Amino acid sequence: MKKLLSLLLAAAMLLTLTAAFAEDSDLAYVQGKGKLVVGITDFAPMDYKNEAGEWIGFDADMAKAFGASIGVEVELIEIDWDNKVLELNGKTIDCVWNGMTLTDEVKSAMSCSNAYANNAQVVILPADKAASYADVPALSGLTFAVEAGSAGEAEVKALGYATTAVSTQADTLMEVAAGTSDAAVIDALMAAAMVGEGTGYAGLTYTFSLNSEEYGVGFRTGSDLVDALNAFLAASYADGTMQAIAETYGVQAAIIPQA
Amino acid sequence: MELIMKQMPIVFNALNVGFLHTLQLFFITLIGALPLGLLIALGTMSRFKLLSLFNRIVIWIVRGSPLMIQLLIIYYFPGLVLHNPIWGGGETGRFWAASVAFIINYACYFAEIYRGGIQSIPNGQTEAGLVLGMTHRQIFFHVKLLQMIKAIVPPISNEIITLVKDTSLSRIIALQEIIWAGQSFLKGSQGISGAVWPLFFTAIYYLVWNGIMTVALGRLEKRLSYFK
Repeated sequence: MKKLLSLLLAAAMLLTLTAAFAEDSDLAYVQGKGKLVVGITDFAPMDYKNEAGEWIGFDADMAKAFGASIGVEVELIEIDWDNKVLELNGKTIDCVWNGMTLTDEVKSAMSCSNAYANNAQVVILPADKAASYADVPALSGLTFAVEAGSAGEAEVKALGYATTAVSTQADTLMEVAAGTSDAAVIDALMAAAMVGEGTGYAGLTYTFSLNSEEYGVGFRTGSDLVDALNAFLAASYADGTMQAIAETYGVQAAIIPQA
Repeated sequence: MELIMKQMPIVFNALNVGFLHTLQLFFITLIGALPLGLLIALGTMSRFKLLSLFNRIVIWIVRGSPLMIQLLIIYYFPGLVLHNPIWGGGETGRFWAASVAFIINYACYFAEIYRGGIQSIPNGQTEAGLVLGMTHRQIFFHVKLLQMIKAIVPPISNEIITLVKDTSLSRIIALQEIIWAGQSFLKGSQGISGAVWPLFFTAIYYLVWNGIMTVALGRLEKRLSYFK
């Protein structure tokens, strides 16, 4: 029993010691382990799998290029989006690079890069009813399905219209398709990929946008990787690599010039 | 219908990969938790009061708190609090963290089943063994153990069937088991989005596997019924 106790104490001390040696520089920490772990979700056209099962997309390719520029390997790993801050602070990932809207909540929970792409929140309606709702005032009285904690939820609440919060943006579409909500508000880039002819939601359509917003990359609070990434974004915009990657995935119109 | 036919190969491929992760977690948990449970059970019945108390407190904590929270603690605690992310961010690390959480959790449930099994054997058998000059070790291994195994098979089967379904909780730390795989087509993955049926179809996998388990465990129970 005494031996076991001393063994446990020794193990606890070892853990505290390794903790004390944690580096101040996040860049040095990542370079030290030789790998940048990027937290993503399956989100075309930013991060998604090709037929060979490799992660591609505008964000995925940019992340690989950034990794090469600081001399580390890049590992893309799917996370539960709700746990992104937990994953960052627990050091199980090093950044969140997944078409993340730079909201005040996001900026207060992590250190973010400069914005690199434009996005908007658009209104989703059943295709046969879209014509009767041509502007924002016409939408009053409708119930909106929104993702809990999303930028879309904030927009609809600001208008003072009724909302039903569900757990993902995809669920909001199911709500409208099933008729349990009248309309939904989701990301423009996602709406373009998921709604309309040839998608799983052929009976839905997206109309006008409620706002405009920007995508950025999130790091641990106070991380010096932010400066490294901003420098990389500026360089890759200057030499045209960023635009070339954007064209591969058809998002060139959304790119924000970097300086 | 045509759309579903086109989606099938991609979806089944993803569900199979997911179910393989489910099965890996299932078997690792059994391999770890069945013996660990016996150790904990023997600990709770130990003559050393401190050891017995310690084990009973562990059982209380593990059985008394949600497995989902235990998964979060085991995976994120080392990095968040000790600043030493021992599991790493990769899929292997997530799998091992989930395995540890499931082994500890199920070992505690198994321990209580073992204890019930051991204590169900009449004390008279121990006394008889002692009179015949057997040691406590001999009495446990040669007299009690097989009877105990026979008595615990039905409740253990119950836990094993629950375990198959509980593995889906590991999605909270982004372990990509079958439910995760099924749900990914709802949100959009590999060119399929808004597909609801893959998520519901995962239930078939669980049903088939639990059918196999029920038959196998039923056979085991029959083979052990030679005492009566």
